[in-house]
Amino acid sequence: MNRKGKELIVFMLLLFFMLSCDHFLEVDFPENQLSGDIVFQDDATALAALTAIYANLRDKVLLTGNSNGLHVIMGLYSDELDYYGSSGQPLEEFYNHTLLPSSVSISQLWNDSYHTIYMVNSLLEGINDNSHLSYETIQKIKGEALFVRALTHFYLVNLFGAVPYVIQTDYTLNSNINRLEVNEVYKAIVSDLKAARSFLSSGESTEQRIVPDKWAATTLLAKVYLYMGDWERAELESTSIIENTGFSWETDLSNVFLKESGATIWQLKPPVDGYNTLEASTFNFVSAPPPLIALNEQLLEVFEDGDARKATWIAGVSNGIDVWYHANKYKNVSTTSNTEYSIVFRLAEIYLIRAEARTNLGNISEALSDVNKIRQRANLTDLNIIDPEELLEAILLEKRVELFTEFGNRWFDLKRLGKAEAVISSIKSGWESKNLLLPIPENELSLNPNLSPQNPGY
Amino acid sequence: MKNNLRFLQWGRLFLPILIIIGTINTVHTQNSYRVTGKITDDNGPLAGVTIRIKGSSRGTTSDFDGNYSVQVIGSETLIYSFIGYGTVEEPINNRSKIDVILYSESTQLQEVSINAGYYKTTDKTKTGSIARISSAEIEKQPVNNPLEALQGRLTGVHITQSTGTAGGGFQVRIRGQNSIAAGNEPLYIVDGVPYDSGSLSYNGSSGSIMPGALISPLNALPPSSIASIEVLKDADATAIYGSRGANGVVLITTKNNTNDKTTFSVNVNVNVNAGFANISRKMKLMNTEQYLEMRRGAFQNDGITGFPFYAYDVNGTWDATRDVDWQDELLGGTAYIENYQGAVAGGSERTHFNIIGTYGKESTVFPKDFNYKRGTVLASINHSSSDDKFHINFTANYASEKNNQPGSDLSRSARSLAPNAPELYDESGNLNWENSTWTNPLAQLNGSYSNGIVSLISNATLSYELFRDFKISSRFGYTDIRIDEEKTNPHTIYNPAFGLTSANSNIFTNEGKRRSWIIEPQFNYQFNIGEGTFKTIFGFTFQEQNSEQFSLLGSGFTNNNLIYNLSAASNVFILDEKKNQYRYQAFFGRLNYNWEDKYIINVTGRRDGSSRFGPGKRYANFGAIGAAWVFSEEESLHKAIPSLSLGKLRASYGITGNDQIGDYQYFDTYSVSNTIYDGTVGLTPTRLFNPLFAWEKNRKFDLALDIGLWNNKLLLSSTYFRNTSSNQLVGVPLPGTTGFQNIQANLDATIRNSGWEFELHSRNIQKANFSWKSDFNLTIPKNELVSYEGLENSAYANRYVIGKPLTIVKLYHLEGVNPDTGLFEFEDFNNDGIISSPEDRQYTKDLAPKYYGGLTNTLIYKNMQLVLFFQYTKQNAYNHFFNYAPAGFMLNQPSESLNRWQKLGDDTLLQKYTSGSNFQVQNAFSKFAISDAVVTDASYIKLKNVSFSYQLPRKLLGNSDLLLTLQGQNLLTFTSFKGGDPEQIIGYLPQLRRFTMGVQFKF
Repeated sequence: MNRKGKELIVFMLLLFFMLSCDHFLEVDFPENQLSGDIVFQDDATALAALTAIYANLRDKVLLTGNSNGLHVIMGLYSDELDYYGSSGQPLEEFYNHTLLPSSVSISQLWNDSYHTIYMVNSLLEGINDNSHLSYETIQKIKGEALFVRALTHFYLVNLFGAVPYVIQTDYTLNSNINRLEVNEVYKAIVSDLKAARSFLSSGESTEQRIVPDKWAATTLLAKVYLYMGDWERAELESTSIIENTGFSWETDLSNVFLKESGATIWQLKPPVDGYNTLEASTFNFVSAPPPLIALNEQLLEVFEDGDARKATWIAGVSNGIDVWYHANKYKNVSTTSNTEYSIVFRLAEIYLIRAEARTNLGNISEALSDVNKIRQRANLTDLNIIDPEELLEAILLEKRVELFTEFGNRWFDLKRLGKAEAVISSIKSGWESKNLLLPIPENELSLNPNLSPQNPGY
Repeated sequence: MKNNLRFLQWGRLFLPILIIIGTINTVHTQNSYRVTGKITDDNGPLAGVTIRIKGSSRGTTSDFDGNYSVQVIGSETLIYSFIGYGTVEEPINNRSKIDVILYSESTQLQEVSINAGYYKTTDKTKTGSIARISSAEIEKQPVNNPLEALQGRLTGVHITQSTGTAGGGFQVRIRGQNSIAAGNEPLYIVDGVPYDSGSLSYNGSSGSIMPGALISPLNALPPSSIASIEVLKDADATAIYGSRGANGVVLITTKNNTNDKTTFSVNVNVNVNAGFANISRKMKLMNTEQYLEMRRGAFQNDGITGFPFYAYDVNGTWDATRDVDWQDELLGGTAYIENYQGAVAGGSERTHFNIIGTYGKESTVFPKDFNYKRGTVLASINHSSSDDKFHINFTANYASEKNNQPGSDLSRSARSLAPNAPELYDESGNLNWENSTWTNPLAQLNGSYSNGIVSLISNATLSYELFRDFKISSRFGYTDIRIDEEKTNPHTIYNPAFGLTSANSNIFTNEGKRRSWIIEPQFNYQFNIGEGTFKTIFGFTFQEQNSEQFSLLGSGFTNNNLIYNLSAASNVFILDEKKNQYRYQAFFGRLNYNWEDKYIINVTGRRDGSSRFGPGKRYANFGAIGAAWVFSEEESLHKAIPSLSLGKLRASYGITGNDQIGDYQYFDTYSVSNTIYDGTVGLTPTRLFNPLFAWEKNRKFDLALDIGLWNNKLLLSSTYFRNTSSNQLVGVPLPGTTGFQNIQANLDATIRNSGWEFELHSRNIQKANFSWKSDFNLTIPKNELVSYEGLENSAYANRYVIGKPLTIVKLYHLEGVNPDTGLFEFEDFNNDGIISSPEDRQYTKDLAPKYYGGLTNTLIYKNMQLVLFFQYTKQNAYNHFFNYAPAGFMLNQPSESLNRWQKLGDDTLLQKYTSGSNFQVQNAFSKFAISDAVVTDASYIKLKNVSFSYQLPRKLLGNSDLLLTLQGQNLLTFTSFKGGDPEQIIGYLPQLRRFTMGVQFKF
């Protein structure tokens, strides 16, 4: 080869390598991840992104049956549970009311809740203007996502007071978002729930009741109206649920928490066939003294003599000298045969919501019949109270023994009715009136000054 | 090496002529006689050495067997010189036989070729900081991994071995930690091919025997197959590796046959060694008498009279006279080591080959039969065309490893079991559970961790000289590594009293794979301008790497014999499934100008593109400039200071990058979550995505002065370096209302690593039959977080402090034991009356070494060689109180725990005992455990290596060589540290003390 030829080769090679490729750096997508676009091009993947939210609620935040869940933390915070675990653990701070803005458990609760909201908003944005997904899928995602967004904000507003209502995923907006007044948050919740209800199915297709349907949204709406003091609407929504023939009143106490219970409105299914609820393993203990938590003795004392719920839903464990009690609503800790799901909403709560609403509306006799429905099932005699104030007290007591260790219902009732201070300060020396609200996480305030001021007292 | 051999051939040609000249010159000399002798180097006879009589032109050269003879007068002096070796002067003093040892330049700044990656340089002409260790030093150490052989030998290179269990991993830091959140491991290049050093192991499988699931892929290279390791440290040396050079580059060159034999020949080399290993340092713990005194005192302090039923150790259930050293029982075994190596090298004029096979086996110190086995084959072949224009070289290393170890390390149990705990076995030889009063530690050994690793590293280089001094070449590389891991937890690891069956047994499996290919076309051109030479390189890189991971958990078996059979498991869970792809392309160049080896300037640069960054941020430029002035070459200076044999000043400055951030970080993705709802596996948003993040940049400055005196008998090299890394890739904190706590972005944080490095090489004595040389190195590093905007709001707020190193820990400050209460007391930094975290955890201690280095002494007497290597480090580390339980619990304690508070007014080291029911004591202890009291001086000097070898005289063996060796590793440790081995990771085996004996045959 002559010199010219060789030079040409070098030149060609150089040119080839230099031009060879911007697209060389385009890599295949990882097989355990999907790009956001692809997720919303197929019904199955879009629905998988939706179900992840229920797994998140079941395993991680607010509704979870483990010790991060509301039923444990707010149970300890009020007068339902006592703490027996080792010192210096996050749960102890809830029990002793020593939570600080810097407490890890506070930022965890806040962050995990808003992460759930991010998941929901990401879904809502994914289905927006989407022509790839079927109509049914879009309706389902819209309804369920709006429901979960309302649900999460409902708990946030009750825990923290005024909070941001987040409706988009854009972090540039969300990182300097403002807090909304409590009544504004409630308005947003009601609006989301009403919208959700228009998209949700009426329940025929969800026999196991493991995804929220129209009735779950209605339940939350009834509860929200009750918390807002809108008694008429609370009664109206409750009645629509009670009159729905899809539910059946469970008269046998031992069937109430079984997965087939006819009185269940919405429940969360354990992850694997054969597994049971996290609640069962969190509350139950077999040796005394208790390793982590046990029922507060006052709760045991307020059960009337002969209340069948005490025997069926509570169990005692003795070390030979003393006896400690645990909630025994969920009994099955087996990993081989499944009998129980984690029930979020059930009919008994609806009756008690309606009873309270009716009392406040002056409809004492119908209110009594709602309360007595619950009492009859517990083998208790019917109440016959005429004084509304007295009846409201009786309903609160009935809620306490019916809904104990369920999602902090007790705490939220005490707080809502202005009784928290009196009740809790009498049993906890650490109580201060600032404890009506949890502190906003310290980190959150320093990263987003728009969230200031901190809740009073912290 | 090549130069030496060429010279050797020339020497042979001229030999007869020189002898004749010598004879002529001595004809008329009075009282002259003939001196004979033999010239050798580390490896045996040295041919072609020039022997000159001082002050005359007479002389000779040594013959093929290193022998020489020359006519002299008894008062004359002989000068022995040979290229690549130090010159030796010997006064004759009327001797008739003078044997001389010459030293190769491996410890000298001269002509030894240094691999700088894309090009070669020498110590004398290099402009960058490159540290080198050769096979001669590596082979003297009875270790399994080449990284272990580097410990303490090189300046600026700090290596920590994560466990003494064979087949584990290492942490390597070259000139300190540069990055907060991205990787800090150097780039490894094996024979020109990048080799990812990331462990493929899964924490669920190996984490409890290999800390952090670190398994070094470099285990595939047995130290005996390695010819040299070069470590590139400064910008001048690393900038040509661009985005991957920020943490330094480690170049590993395997043994290759470059012998220029003109006729076909074959050399066979067989090397066998065997030995044993055990733990080198134990912790001093309480004996039974002291222990029981502690326990009784603890119950007394807690106001408990009458020991509770579960206090088996003190309440009479266990034998109070039994006194067991559990460190001996559980870790005191002897590991046996055997290694075999066979090598065949040969070829003809233009083609050479070399094949090395190794097999090694090492058992463990644990009380059961476990072992690590490795077999490797390294094959290389090279060929050149008859016009010497075309060259091809192919090398492949294939390794197969099998490791079988206990499922978890027993080190923790060995330190914490009560000294009067029961027998391990009952009379019939079964595990003894002593009526369920204890957890038998040996039950753990019913489970095991095992892995099989297969790795291939191969490369081919083709080059052709197209024009004079213009070469085109290309390197092709392929690597493939696969790991299969299994960790079994049969139900028999638990007390049978639990009534478990094989339905409770489980197994973790993990399959990891990584394949990569690389193509690097290059153009080399060399030309002269003035008195100097220009060398240029110009090249491209295309690389792709695919990695996969698949981890499963199988549980519930009908029989434990089926445990390795996942299809027999009643439940199988997928724990992790990953498939990642990484692509990389680059364009690089080097321009080097060398003016008579006096003034040297070196410019390197690289333009890199990486798939780890988003579109628009994928490319970045890196580069460096380095310069050297060999001032001893200046005529005037040489005359003024004749004893100055070498004087060199060099400096470099440049920018390198770091892309060790993981793949796909910039994508908006949904990940498969490991949670299932109603039979559907969920998809969750992976992260807030930021398509805008870019490279971390690392600016390196380096200044060095090399001085050689008296023919380089004394060489001192001093280096100052300062590396500043900025544009840190970290998770920038965001409020939780965004759904996440951070977003991957470049943050305005700066980290500076600076320091001094010193090397001293001295040939103290160099006589005919005896020589002694010393090599010393010292590194004084300093790490500092210079700035970090928004540190106080970030996830690192309680970990880092601006102005302090990244390696600090934040602790409570222990003020002592209150003589009235007997409780630990701590400094209340914010004076709020409460000792709380993080407000009062403000006392910082640095865990990085203050300085470190090593000292090698090599002594040679005739055919015997003795090498002593000491390694030293000045540092703080977590001591024997870290991660322990409060004194008084049913766990053994360091014997220092005897010095405790007992009564009012006691001034003691430690607070009072508790059996576990005194909240205050426990609370104080929980703070003590994260106070400055658990970080103490852990400086040490270790006699790291002793190697003795004896070369049998050749006349006994005909034409063969026989070398006998005795080697020891980690022999002695001098330290005030009480927590066992000062280099050890708590809870895992320390580096073992090893002894081996070997025979090497060459024929």
